[in-house]
Amino acid sequence: MRYLIKNGSIIDPAARVATIGSILIENGRVVRVSDHADLASAEPEVLGDDIEVINARGAVIAPGFIDLHTHAREPGEEYKETLATATRAAAAGGFTTICAMPDTRPTNDCAAVTRQVREIARRRGVIKVEAIGAITVGRAGTSLTEMAELVEAGCVGFSDDPRPITDSAMMRNVLSYAAMLDVPVLTHCEDLRLTMGWAMHEGIISTRLGLPGFPASAEEAIIARDIGLAELTGAHLHICTVSTAGGVALIRAAKERGIQVTAEVTAHHLTLTERWVLGSLGVNDPPAAKRPARGRKAEAGLGLPVWLVPTRLQPYDPSTRVSPPLRTEEDCDALIEGLRDGTIDAIVSDHSPQSSVEKECEYRLAEPGISALETVLGLALTLVHRGKMDLIDLIAKLTEGPATVLGRSPATLRPGQHADIVIFDPEAHWTVDSTTFVSKGRSTPLIGQQLRGHAMLTMYRGEIAFRRGSFGTLGANETQQASRLEGILGSDGE
Amino acid sequence: MLNEKQILSSDDLRRATTRIAHEIAERNAGIGDVMLVGIRRRGVPLAERIAATLADIEGVRVPIGVLDITLYRDDLEMRGPVPIVRPTTMPVDITGRTLILVDDVLFTGRTVRAALDALADLGRPARIQLAVLVDRGHRELPIRADFVGKNVPTSREERIETRLHEIDDGVDGVFIVREDQA
Amino acid sequence: MMTHIGRAAVERRHLLDLDVFGRTEISEILETSAGMREVLGRQIKQVPTLRGRTVINMFFEESTRTRISFELAGKALSANVINMTARGSSVEKGESLVDTVRTLQALGADILVMRHGEAGAPYLAAQHFKGSVINAGDGRHAHPTQALLDLFTIQSRFGRIEGLKVVIVGDIVHSRVARSDLWGLTKMGAHVTLCAPQTLLGPEAYWRATWPELTISTDLDRALDGADVIMALRLQRERQEAGLLPSLREYSRFFGITAERVQLAASHCLVMHPGPMNEGVEIMPDVAISAQSVIEEQVTNGVAVRMAMLYRLAGE
Repeated sequence: MRYLIKNGSIIDPAARVATIGSILIENGRVVRVSDHADLASAEPEVLGDDIEVINARGAVIAPGFIDLHTHAREPGEEYKETLATATRAAAAGGFTTICAMPDTRPTNDCAAVTRQVREIARRRGVIKVEAIGAITVGRAGTSLTEMAELVEAGCVGFSDDPRPITDSAMMRNVLSYAAMLDVPVLTHCEDLRLTMGWAMHEGIISTRLGLPGFPASAEEAIIARDIGLAELTGAHLHICTVSTAGGVALIRAAKERGIQVTAEVTAHHLTLTERWVLGSLGVNDPPAAKRPARGRKAEAGLGLPVWLVPTRLQPYDPSTRVSPPLRTEEDCDALIEGLRDGTIDAIVSDHSPQSSVEKECEYRLAEPGISALETVLGLALTLVHRGKMDLIDLIAKLTEGPATVLGRSPATLRPGQHADIVIFDPEAHWTVDSTTFVSKGRSTPLIGQQLRGHAMLTMYRGEIAFRRGSFGTLGANETQQASRLEGILGSDGE
Repeated sequence: MLNEKQILSSDDLRRATTRIAHEIAERNAGIGDVMLVGIRRRGVPLAERIAATLADIEGVRVPIGVLDITLYRDDLEMRGPVPIVRPTTMPVDITGRTLILVDDVLFTGRTVRAALDALADLGRPARIQLAVLVDRGHRELPIRADFVGKNVPTSREERIETRLHEIDDGVDGVFIVREDQA
Repeated sequence: MMTHIGRAAVERRHLLDLDVFGRTEISEILETSAGMREVLGRQIKQVPTLRGRTVINMFFEESTRTRISFELAGKALSANVINMTARGSSVEKGESLVDTVRTLQALGADILVMRHGEAGAPYLAAQHFKGSVINAGDGRHAHPTQALLDLFTIQSRFGRIEGLKVVIVGDIVHSRVARSDLWGLTKMGAHVTLCAPQTLLGPEAYWRATWPELTISTDLDRALDGADVIMALRLQRERQEAGLLPSLREYSRFFGITAERVQLAASHCLVMHPGPMNEGVEIMPDVAISAQSVIEEQVTNGVAVRMAMLYRLAGE
């Protein structure tokens, strides 16, 4: 099957390309990238019987996104999600590769399970699934897994997420061993003694709501420990789901010292705060209850902070419970700054689908997790729409950044590359309705939220893995040129 | 638009309460065991005025109780907000006494029924009589007043408003208030 | 006849926390509580107001005194009152909270009075219940009827709440009573001081962001100067086991309400305690029964206040 994608804005961070153009795909690979909006108008011979034309007018064409952090739940918790549904949900979110965390049942702590995961994904998935192997057997924290064999079976990294490694001596050995194998160790940083019984971020809202808290320093203490051990062992340490300003500062300092540490942040930690646990209750607070005014609330040019405001949620809505928890507006600011200056390498989903059994209960007892794959793009684009980041830099955090963490060459659209492509409309307004999610997971605090930006078509190895509605068919066979999309490729924002 | 018609002037009111006091004294020869019980809110100042007149003509100060019947109403599922409950105060035991319930307007009779239930929980009066300033008809229960200031025929949609200077601004009076379609 | 309708005119279905209540509404509740207290002073302590309504006390956490208080309140209003405790129920067998609530609704409950160990549980119940939910205590979050009865007690004694200096002493960080009293007292214009060892307070900024006018202190003797009300909170012995305090003895020495400490406050100062008391720890026995103690009044007022809330919510 051949495809011609035309009239789109091609943004390829790794190739430093941002242009209106078209892309020709044959046999699962990119063969031509042209700065003609419609290649067929210049070279009609590219069209033929076996070609499908996709009109990407008004949309951006980018390398398919890579998610370093997904919980696909299979094997063992198929009622929450399967590799089939997880990969389809990922495709609906614009991802062409997901890294599946090993917290399955059985845990992915041996080559047999790794092979099982890869096999199921190959047969029933629609995009690429990479396996993250467990650090310790059963993720119990007591003995190392056979990492060398796991790498041989295909694991691209190691993690015990969502559990931390509590034994520091063990962590040193883990990093040392993994350094030998030249694979990243992805750590969930949490001091379990400090967070015992936690429900949400420890701070103003937890005090008001009477919920036990997860203080920022419980995350930062372990980030600091792991950075120190990474320095000692020379391993590639990757910090999962960093959520605090202090954590960003630690990682920044470590990078400045030349330590091989990378980091990721979720789209929800960039845009949602602890106020979401209070819900709409806090929106009408009398002035005395509002936070004291702070400087630097508005960034250059727009006066709008990035963080979203909950208007529809009841207090104590368990869909807001995640690990690490949603934190403060200052943390959001610091995380965004960390993205901009390169301290944070990747935006991830931390897709953690739960069923209603786990979520429809008392807040502190609810399993943490958001069904995130289908809202990452919409949330992340908030940074672009509110002028915090250029679109090309944002896309890099979903493509080039994650690829670098995995130690592979950057995802790109150059000729000869696999056709792993996402076409998305950065302006599409849509309202989140999780009953229409592709994922089995329905739990997200964003239900009813208006987002701007939606994946329209995702292609994996030259096959369409996801298409929204009949996207691309309108005007496919016309030869009119697209006009330059205003504001998309500049730094004006909206 | 509100359409207001005065049916009792402040002089009418004065004469009515005076006449009621005389009738009470006449009916209950010697008001020794009489007690006035004003139904909150406007029954209370009326009871006080009647008691003052009784003190003039009989030289006896009868005790005045204040009865809040909110907790005895049969219409809790009302539209709108819930009424405030205020304390009921009986300065003396009501058992064995002649109680005169005092209220401003007698309408469906449900308020008086609630008052009777409330009194039943407070003691056992020898007899209960009812004095009202205005009887506007439309009874829904078999209740009648013993002492009436004025009989005023009304339609159900009309509203009667009593204004007493102890509670309301302006001059005393009783008004029929009707919402007119403009 | 014009009955005095509530000026606050708020359509309120539940009592979950005082944070959404305005001053006018709280004043109305206190007025109604006075009316209810009068009923409790009669020979026949009963009125027919909630006849035919069903109130279910759904207590997932043990509490004899609060449960009895609500039971008496419901019965004084002629409601059918049923007590349900978690022990021996289907909840113990693993039934979810939502399923329990739905079952009780199908059984005809009009009002659920709920006490639960997890903050936020009554909010979840309220979302699945067509009647009214009254929060009788959820984790460390709120205990609104306790705060209302505290306000009623103070108002009954002083005739006002505005401008009074109230000092709350004890395990603040774990206390739902402290949080609800903070809302109630600040909304009615009192000045509140929180006093506790640092480990039982946590960072000051967390409290100030929600209640900016607060005074926070770890020095009880100084905090008591000029106090009109001392509110002592129960100190659970588990706090010492959890490493938050070196010993109960040290707590009692530096934070216990003794007769000497009461002298440091204003001469008319009230001593209050939500109960049950750990006599000898947070409050000395002689103080608990002293002339300035209103602890027993709090208990009586508790029934009146709960009657007022049952009445107000049942009418919606």
